[in-house]
Amino acid sequence: MTCSSSEHLLELYLDGELAVRESAEMRKHIGGCSTCANQYQRLEQIRTDIRMHVGRYEPPADLEQRVRAALRKAAVEKKHPGWLLANWMAVAAAVLLCVSIGWNVALLRSHSSANDLLAQEVLSSHLRSLIGAHLMDIPSSDQHTVKPWFNGKLSFAPDVKDFARQGFPLIGGRIEYIDDQPVAALIYQRRQHLINLFMWPAASSSPSGYSAMKKRGYSLVSWTQDGMTCWLVSDVQTSELEQLAQLYK
Amino acid sequence: MPGRAMSHDRPAVMRMPLRTLEKSQGEAPSEISERTKLALFEQTIVPHLSAAYNLAVWLTRNSHDAEDVVQEACLRAFRFFDGFHGDDGKAWLLAVVRNTCHSWLRREKGNKTMVMFDEQMHCSDLDRTNPEGLLLEKVNVGSLRECLNALPLEYREVMILREMEEMSYRDIADLINIPVGTVMSRLSRARRRLEACAAARAAGGLA
Repeated sequence: MTCSSSEHLLELYLDGELAVRESAEMRKHIGGCSTCANQYQRLEQIRTDIRMHVGRYEPPADLEQRVRAALRKAAVEKKHPGWLLANWMAVAAAVLLCVSIGWNVALLRSHSSANDLLAQEVLSSHLRSLIGAHLMDIPSSDQHTVKPWFNGKLSFAPDVKDFARQGFPLIGGRIEYIDDQPVAALIYQRRQHLINLFMWPAASSSPSGYSAMKKRGYSLVSWTQDGMTCWLVSDVQTSELEQLAQLYK
Repeated sequence: MPGRAMSHDRPAVMRMPLRTLEKSQGEAPSEISERTKLALFEQTIVPHLSAAYNLAVWLTRNSHDAEDVVQEACLRAFRFFDGFHGDDGKAWLLAVVRNTCHSWLRREKGNKTMVMFDEQMHCSDLDRTNPEGLLLEKVNVGSLRECLNALPLEYREVMILREMEEMSYRDIADLINIPVGTVMSRLSRARRRLEACAAARAAGGLA
């Protein structure tokens, strides 16, 4: 083992990340190489200083009590969904204000906004439509057939458009149940992929901004137009969903 | 939460006590009551509150905010407790705390431009426990703490998880949801920066 080859191994050795044999070789090398021995000693010194002298921050004595009390309150409130919903609406409203554009995937997974919970619901609907035999209530590529089909089934008239010429042929429609209400679902095809477009009348409290996200490998895009909340979900690239969103607008 | 921190391939040991507890309380085995969930949460997650708080202070650099972050993280963790499969309560809670810290910091970035002086944070009282080494340590430890605090967030978090929580590269990678190689290179850069920073401060202090 030479010094240059051992340089990055030194930290692995320090952190106990080397296999038994490599570790033994490293120990031997350090024994005979003063450069590495010095470097190792410096690394070890940082560790000792941090552990022994910098130390940990100890929580205030009453923190645990406060947390336990908050947990008990949360457990009780969970039995009363009305309460929970009100709480979550308040939390969601506060959180939504702070959602930055660069919100990354890891944070989206943390379910921290109402939008995210909705996205979860939209994605579940999309997945259900793919696994079951219930992709379409009205299989038709004719927008003039699909649009009237929704009449009388919903309290609103969804705008049904076909984009076959742009590579997004409409293949049918269906009624779904999202966000505690019946919603319109339009199914588009993109090559061999299926795209669900969900729409329903936007609540005054719902976020009106445009958002795009990835969830478990699926792309989701949402926006509000003409008082309707729209969600696109599919396993195609987000850019393709954005393309369809632009067409639909 | 980072999905990789909760890999589903490990045995779901915590499910056993859940079922056992349910039976003893005479409730339907398929349905886990809030009370049972709370009891289990208090048993598996709450004991790691101290590690959670330490991480939160290091990440937020503010002991008051760390308290709020820990409380918020615990509530969030409880809400998503069903997703916990009993692998490692500490790593699971720390992952939630880390995410909560990151959200908090992002929020703070918008609100605050100045870093408030936090007494507990910037003034070390730990040296007092070591009177014989006081003179020697005063410069080094104080500056090492400041240097650690001055590290960028992504370096600071791997250092705390590795050096204080003594977590393996694999566990840190799962917690942060980054590749092991990235953990390795961040740790390496963090150590190099710490060394340089401490050396610069020592030189400055002597001059």
